[in-house]
Amino acid sequence: MMDGTNLPRAPLVGAPTSLRVFFIELTDPLEALAVLGARGPSWHWFLAVLPGLLLVALLGRFFCGWVCPYLPLLAMTLSIRWVFARLGKPLPDLQIDRSVGKWLAVSLTVASVISGAMLVPMVYPPALIGREVFRVVFYGAVSAGVLSLAAIVLFDTFVSRAGFCRSVCPGGATFSVIGSLSPLRITRDVAKCTDCTVCDVVCNLGQKPMTDKVDGGCERCGKCIASCPTKALSWSLSTPSALRRKESKP
Amino acid sequence: MNRRALIGAIASSALLSAAVSRGAKQAKIRPPGALPKGAFERACIGCFRCAEVCPTSCIRFGSVFSAEQTLPSLDLDERACILCMECTQVCPTGALREIPKDRHRIASEVRMGTPRLNKTTCLPWSNRGVCRLCFHVCPYPEQAITLVGPQKAPHFYAESCVGCGLCQEACPDDVKAIIIEPMES
Repeated sequence: MMDGTNLPRAPLVGAPTSLRVFFIELTDPLEALAVLGARGPSWHWFLAVLPGLLLVALLGRFFCGWVCPYLPLLAMTLSIRWVFARLGKPLPDLQIDRSVGKWLAVSLTVASVISGAMLVPMVYPPALIGREVFRVVFYGAVSAGVLSLAAIVLFDTFVSRAGFCRSVCPGGATFSVIGSLSPLRITRDVAKCTDCTVCDVVCNLGQKPMTDKVDGGCERCGKCIASCPTKALSWSLSTPSALRRKESKP
Repeated sequence: MNRRALIGAIASSALLSAAVSRGAKQAKIRPPGALPKGAFERACIGCFRCAEVCPTSCIRFGSVFSAEQTLPSLDLDERACILCMECTQVCPTGALREIPKDRHRIASEVRMGTPRLNKTTCLPWSNRGVCRLCFHVCPYPEQAITLVGPQKAPHFYAESCVGCGLCQEACPDDVKAIIIEPMES
């Protein structure tokens, strides 16, 4: 090894929060931010963060809607909630202000810099799931991380529908802020819309497409478009929500 | 509503800091190229890429709810580091500085720990036998370790030792005379 012979360079290395595809680094912006606070900027840091940032600025909060490994667990919580609803005992849906996630992103980052310990990877579901799956595959064991995940799953099942994703997840909040720069939007054809509210109801993240109130919190999952009975909703490329007037926010 | 959110966020962050910091005081051996203690913990995001590419799986992550849960460390009693430097090639944040696969660069830049020899249990030092295993597995014989005296007992040079732990892994289980200790901060 030390004589310079190289192991074959794997095309794919890493985790949900830190992936290298060939030579492109995709690092979670929130975790990268905590590192920036500790070590200061460098070209190395910049190259590791830029690809991911560009993707989110282009496609919005798509990680939450398409990539996040929590999605199967979220689907499970939604299925359980559906069963309870069908049994005539719907579970509560506590509405938590979406600023919680944003404040958590800030305070966890600041607390990490002060305490010298990385706090975001300890509570951020993609980091937790990635690490626990790695542990199971490589060492055949789990750790305390599954308890944190279980708490989040129980919360999303019994307290608030997709509440963690919608209002608490600091990573999701970070993606929302950056994603509000995205030109990829949901538009409504007013002529076809019958105000049936199905789109508002199916949205897991509390967006309001029926009244055109869709902001950076939209994960571009397309559920609203798929559920519209008159095909009034569709994708479009237009002014990012960050550059629109305040009145258009849900 | 916003103020409650802010207070809740600050409170939970403070609580998490306190919970995580407890029980993390025991010094650990970090993978090669690691930043000094303090800086390393601030730069590592726990992505486990280093452990993923490690060919001997000697890089481990803590399992108890503490800061160690997201930090890689080596248990040299289990497996030693073969100095392939793959881990240093994949770290996205520079918590493990990239070190080329060159034996001279490795010798000068890698310092994972310092050797501590127990001469009462070491077979040649305690005149109970012949061994020399540590010398033969050491990647830097005659630099980090020499054999001295008629009994050919090992003598370690801490300033040249990279701390890979191959000597510790090789030393027979019922002897375990050589241990690599984590670097003092």
